[in-house]
Amino acid sequence: MDMEFIILFLTILFVSVLQIFIPFIAKRAVVFGVSIPYEQVKHPQVIRYKKSYAIITGIFTLAVLAGLVLLIQEFNFNETNLALVGITFPFIILLVGMSLYFYFHSKMTKLKRTEKWFGTVKQVYYADLKIRSKDEMLASFVYLIPIIISLGLIVLTANLYEQLPSRIPTHWGATGQADAFSDKSWMVVLSMPLILVLMQLMFYGVNVFTKRSGIKINAGNIKSSELRQLNLRKYTSWFLFIVDILITLLFAVLQLNILYENIINDLLMMLAPICLLVIVLGGSVWLAVKVGSVDSDLEGTEIVGDTNSNFVQGMDEDQYWKGGLFYFNRNDPSVFVEKRFGIGFTMNFANPIGYLILGVPIILIIIIPYLL
Amino acid sequence: MVILDSESNVPLYLQLRTQIIESIVRGELAKGDTLPSVRALAGDLGINMHTVNKSYHELESKGIIKIVPKKGAVIIADAKKHALKQQYENLVEDLRPVVAEGLVYGLSEADFQQLISSIISKIKEESS
Repeated sequence: MDMEFIILFLTILFVSVLQIFIPFIAKRAVVFGVSIPYEQVKHPQVIRYKKSYAIITGIFTLAVLAGLVLLIQEFNFNETNLALVGITFPFIILLVGMSLYFYFHSKMTKLKRTEKWFGTVKQVYYADLKIRSKDEMLASFVYLIPIIISLGLIVLTANLYEQLPSRIPTHWGATGQADAFSDKSWMVVLSMPLILVLMQLMFYGVNVFTKRSGIKINAGNIKSSELRQLNLRKYTSWFLFIVDILITLLFAVLQLNILYENIINDLLMMLAPICLLVIVLGGSVWLAVKVGSVDSDLEGTEIVGDTNSNFVQGMDEDQYWKGGLFYFNRNDPSVFVEKRFGIGFTMNFANPIGYLILGVPIILIIIIPYLL
Repeated sequence: MVILDSESNVPLYLQLRTQIIESIVRGELAKGDTLPSVRALAGDLGINMHTVNKSYHELESKGIIKIVPKKGAVIIADAKKHALKQQYENLVEDLRPVVAEGLVYGLSEADFQQLISSIISKIKEESS
């Protein structure tokens, strides 16, 4: 079996396994995108829904992976076929995952409505005026440091432009060897450093506006929900920065290889993207454990009793979460907020700044290759 | 620590104002401390920035905080100092209808003194 297949197989396996665990590492007061009072976290029906989801997802994952192995043994795959499989399989998994999510989301919505869980609890807004002194997110300026490398690459490329060959490699295969070329032009030689700068600016913007976004604490369980928010902020900003540096290094290696024709040996060219993938996947697990073990089912500590007061809960914000997935709250000035189903941040779709920070760089990155 | 009751008849901005004042009384916030920015606190609470802004302006007009450009809302109230004449007069004005209401319900002067001391001890013990 070749390298590309193994990478594809492991990535699918990895993503699917994470998907199985989502209900158990998500915030326990939000089940399938539906917020519930802490008192109901251990309700038998809630636990049953989570288990059913995990079992169905698990069986499906096994079927998909078995199917993938069978396909690969029956047919001899060339690169185009594999690329097709690489797109369709994750797509199928995503689609089935989403359908299951929506199924249990509507089940939970009904359960919550019939049981009138929020009828007896008092909903309050909560904030700690000194919380920001405990916030350990990375300072945003550190995200500007890798940009120096991109600018260096641009200057270097400009200086060497005259000496470059007339054909420039633009794509590298899994073996690390160039397999596509373009005629030399300023756009072709500068496209990679330009894309890199855009990504770095996007990472910087994400950190700046995550830092400014609200630190959401649930009054129903102040200690745990505060720790989870602080962990999420700290570790995602670290994760983002590590990814930023790795992408910068990868692009620098590729660009140097263009500038000094094959100065980097093939093995390194082959290993660099794999290392990036492994570190990113490993980092996601680390993040999922660090964040997902607090204020989730994994925490295990008794919830009722360690609360600050009787029957006080955070606000039921379901009305702002479209389908339990998309946050749309005009009142909230936050740009990025914690995901309800999964680990990490999602954006406040009612805030135009979010579209600007993520949309503009992504559109430009997509457009740049067409300008070649 | 700030807890705003979503079902209360008291508007959110007044609740927020009172909670900040009580935090100062309890010593959770001291003279020279900076309050979170309007955007940050509105984000933490998940409420509109105008609401937080309104509370801050109230506190500023009472001489409890000062909004310093680039630094934010700094607490200038000092419980060790005597109230300014203006602050004292405002208190009298705010208390008068409450006292009148109490009298009309039949509260005596002693009842009022007891009521006030119980409120004071309640404010002070409500620390996290």
